[in-house]
Amino acid sequence: MIIKILTGFLAVAILILVVELGRRRKLTFKYAIGWILLSLLGLLFDIFDQLLFRTAALFGFTLPSNFIFFTLICFFIFLSLFLTIFLCQQNNRNDTMAQKIGLLEAEIKNIKQDRPPQQSGSRESNP
Amino acid sequence: MTPEKILIIVPAYNETGNVARTVQEILSLSLPLTVLVVDDGSQDSTAQDAREAGAVVVSLPFNIGIGGAVQTGFQYAIEKGFSLAVQVDGDGQHDVSFVERLIDPIRKNEVDMTIGSRFLPPFTGYRSSFVRRIGIHFFAYLISFLTGYKVTDPTSGFRAFNRKVITIFADEYPHDFPEPESIMVARLYDKRVKEVPVQMRKREAGHSSIRYLATLYYMLKVTSAILFNMIKQKQVG
Repeated sequence: MIIKILTGFLAVAILILVVELGRRRKLTFKYAIGWILLSLLGLLFDIFDQLLFRTAALFGFTLPSNFIFFTLICFFIFLSLFLTIFLCQQNNRNDTMAQKIGLLEAEIKNIKQDRPPQQSGSRESNP
Repeated sequence: MTPEKILIIVPAYNETGNVARTVQEILSLSLPLTVLVVDDGSQDSTAQDAREAGAVVVSLPFNIGIGGAVQTGFQYAIEKGFSLAVQVDGDGQHDVSFVERLIDPIRKNEVDMTIGSRFLPPFTGYRSSFVRRIGIHFFAYLISFLTGYKVTDPTSGFRAFNRKVITIFADEYPHDFPEPESIMVARLYDKRVKEVPVQMRKREAGHSSIRYLATLYYMLKVTSAILFNMIKQKQVG
């Protein structure tokens, strides 16, 4: 019984935390929704534990705890993979942005300094 | 016929003392060229030195690595309509008197990209540490095997590119180990690549005392990065 209270408490705590973070704009819907669904699922299994036992048995797990560990490990493996993808994407965007800023800044300087184009770096009057 | 426009791309990160000399050397060549120094988030006066020496300067807001810096040069070349680009490192290691020989095969439309090699006759006197040479030769064999190009100096950053290659690299240029990897990208897009013998100066303040284990790790990383290019799909038209 204690374990039920403990896990129920954990699921509710995560739910409240995520909702609160969303309220404070620290989490956007895109990233919050997964955690909300996960905590609701945890809560569901916690209240209707027969559901957990049956699902575990359905997938061939003798011990429901093994089922939980297995699912969680899978979940975290995929989560970290997706986070890596996201990180790469952000990294690329960051670099692209830096390049754009650099080019734009050079262009602005070029326009500001004097009207005739290509004032420096060029050995022709109008390359 | 539009007149030929050559862009010399000089990536530079904290190269005060070297960059101005490099720019002046390039500008003293009798070619219709523009020097673009891409200041890769330097903390010193690299950008100012380069500007005073007569270069166009693009300053990146923070350091993104030599691959990203050189790619910025390709993007500039596209925007300003350059038909030829040459990459020259900002540390003064490259002897710019070879620029003309580097762009010659491209002008004649024999190839799309040239790489200045230190290991082709008649200039084979380049000296560097034993470990470094082993590494370079290993990557040379690996890349030659994978691409079918005859490559002897895959880590050389002294290169020239025609408009076709510039267009591709402006969009897709490797950021991790750009020199060897970009040869793989050129292969992916079926571009013609050729090496040209050049001489390079010995780097005055280099980091030649790399530890063996670190070298081994570095070689493994670069090898996997090169091999990783084999699974890439084309991204640019």
